[in-house]
Amino acid sequence: MNTVTLTVNGKPARADIEPRTHLADFLRDTQNLTGTHIGCEHGVCGACTILVDGVPTRSCITFAVACEQADVTTVEGLDNDEVATELRAAFTSEHGLQCGYCTPGMIVSARDVVLRMDDPSEHEIRVAMSGNLCRCTGYVGIVRAIQGVIAARRARGIAAIPGGEHRTALGPAGSGHAVAATQFGTASSGARKPTLTVAKSDSRPDAKAAAPARQDADWKPQTTFTESFTVGHPVDEVWAFFDRIGEVASCLPGASLAGEPVDGHVEGQIRIKVGPISAEFQGVADVSRDDATKTGTINGAGKDKRSNSATRGLIGYAVKPGDKPGETRVDVSIGYTLTGVLAQFGRSGLVQDVAGRLIAAFVQNLEAKLAHQAGGGEPGASAPPVVTELDAGSLVSSVVFGRIKRFFAALFGRR
Amino acid sequence: MKPVNFDYARPADVGAVLALLAEDGPSVKLMAGGQSLGPMLNMRLVQPDLLVDIAAIDELKQVTDKGDAIVFGACITHADIEDRRVPDVTHGALPRVANGIAYRAVRNRGTVGGSLTHADPSADWISMLSAVGARVTLRGPSGERTIAVEDYMLGALEADLRPGEMLVSATVPKLGRSARWGYYKSCRKTGEFAHAIGAFLADPDRGVCRVVIGATESRPIVVADASRLLGDGTAARLEQVFDSAAADEIVAAAGMEDPLDRQTHVVALRRAIERAHSA
Repeated sequence: MNTVTLTVNGKPARADIEPRTHLADFLRDTQNLTGTHIGCEHGVCGACTILVDGVPTRSCITFAVACEQADVTTVEGLDNDEVATELRAAFTSEHGLQCGYCTPGMIVSARDVVLRMDDPSEHEIRVAMSGNLCRCTGYVGIVRAIQGVIAARRARGIAAIPGGEHRTALGPAGSGHAVAATQFGTASSGARKPTLTVAKSDSRPDAKAAAPARQDADWKPQTTFTESFTVGHPVDEVWAFFDRIGEVASCLPGASLAGEPVDGHVEGQIRIKVGPISAEFQGVADVSRDDATKTGTINGAGKDKRSNSATRGLIGYAVKPGDKPGETRVDVSIGYTLTGVLAQFGRSGLVQDVAGRLIAAFVQNLEAKLAHQAGGGEPGASAPPVVTELDAGSLVSSVVFGRIKRFFAALFGRR
Repeated sequence: MKPVNFDYARPADVGAVLALLAEDGPSVKLMAGGQSLGPMLNMRLVQPDLLVDIAAIDELKQVTDKGDAIVFGACITHADIEDRRVPDVTHGALPRVANGIAYRAVRNRGTVGGSLTHADPSADWISMLSAVGARVTLRGPSGERTIAVEDYMLGALEADLRPGEMLVSATVPKLGRSARWGYYKSCRKTGEFAHAIGAFLADPDRGVCRVVIGATESRPIVVADASRLLGDGTAARLEQVFDSAAADEIVAAAGMEDPLDRQTHVVALRRAIERAHSA
């Protein structure tokens, strides 16, 4: 817990809160100022918009602790505000609200539009208000109310102030009032304790995830794309390598198996890091291959407990001679369905960018292993993979960079 | 929609941030305005042990005139640029682009450095700052290095940050007297992330003619010498010189295979050129 002190509606407000407490929760839970509404809680709907240092701010994605000693005004603090008073009257006469859930945020944003924009067109008002969603009115009444207040004020000779009325300081609104804070712990003693208790030690695959890998033969992946690469080794060598599933997995950055496959059934995990997001999928896969056609499939499912996301995937591969003698071409088709938080956040393009990077690193590791083997190294012995985790570090590796660029290129534009 | 619990630190200077980044063990995440990180924390996509708030650091909110360029600290906000609280050296290009980022309430806290480091392909600054030829300065345990903005982005959500490094500033060159620029983004809803971005800068005084096609699935496509697309950049009506077929070839060569995608991106670029702005 930390003590955070703000000025709220002109009065000092102090509370002991956790660092993760956002401004809206600070106001509602510790100050009983429930006029600030929480809608989407990820910065999209605008219901929680309040004034911080005199300018509109999303209180659901602004932490209270980051605004130490800032000046905060909520809709309750706008009772005697001139513009807000005019807006309330206009919202009433123009039917600018029905259920009223969005209204506190609407008033704060509308006040900003009235103050900043001198003679906006209806379109400009709609654009400026587009960060506040209303599910009742269809916006017509809201836009009319704002137009009316602006027209009346300009008629009274009150001009707009383009940059807003208050702000002269640079940097994020609310920042810079309090200087350095020594590290705040979440424990009351102030001692740092690991606040994350992810099931890292629990490396056993989720048994529940095991079931769907075998059942549900009708399952079709939501997204499928194909990829090909060529390695400078003979077909038989590459085909034999793909049979050693543990080694194949070790070529995939972040992947590891719980043990050798039993009856084509294998358990394992893969850790993926994309920018600040990291996910660790634990799951199972069924592996099958056909020596006659030199094709194989990997059908797997996994869960990431951290983000409560799940994925199912179907990977098919075909090994065939390359264009030049001694080369092997591998065609891979990757189909997957992602559900849960990661899917909500992820746009398909991002997933493919990540998949492209994984494959690029995979190919590099595969070639390194095959080369090591061809040079007399024992299969399965050392020759550590070059890329062990998919992150920024793996991307700047100069060896792999050109290939990654080509893979990126190949992946552009696919849906 | 509450983040996991994390510890919080608000260092007074960059040195103290670097010291926290150098600590072994806890996962540390830097936060400037928190307008991209906040939603990811709320959705628990990101679960740091320690959140380091860099928005109180004076150095990161400084603006320095270097004669031929201007240097923005990492924590300069979109609204600071939109409202011209910082000087504009781009004939209105950056204020105009800033005005179109998300929503005003987000622009009041969201920062240039944060947006670039978040490295979302559809974000505005990565494309527009690439078009004007801006550079970013990174500071870490082994000192400072300065690289082109487009090289800072390695892929979707992946910035070129070495261990212990952070972005401290962005350097924007002052455009020549006769410079013209354009920016167009295709969004279905105002303020959402773009589906296609086109940007160009024609600055004959400095011998610069650049084109950027952004909001791809990864890094923006940067054409550093766009003479093939825009001639020498001096034509009165650049859209009459603009070669759509050549632009299509460029995006195709960059690997954009879907014809609809290519069309959307080429059209975004054409509209950017049709809406050319000058001094």
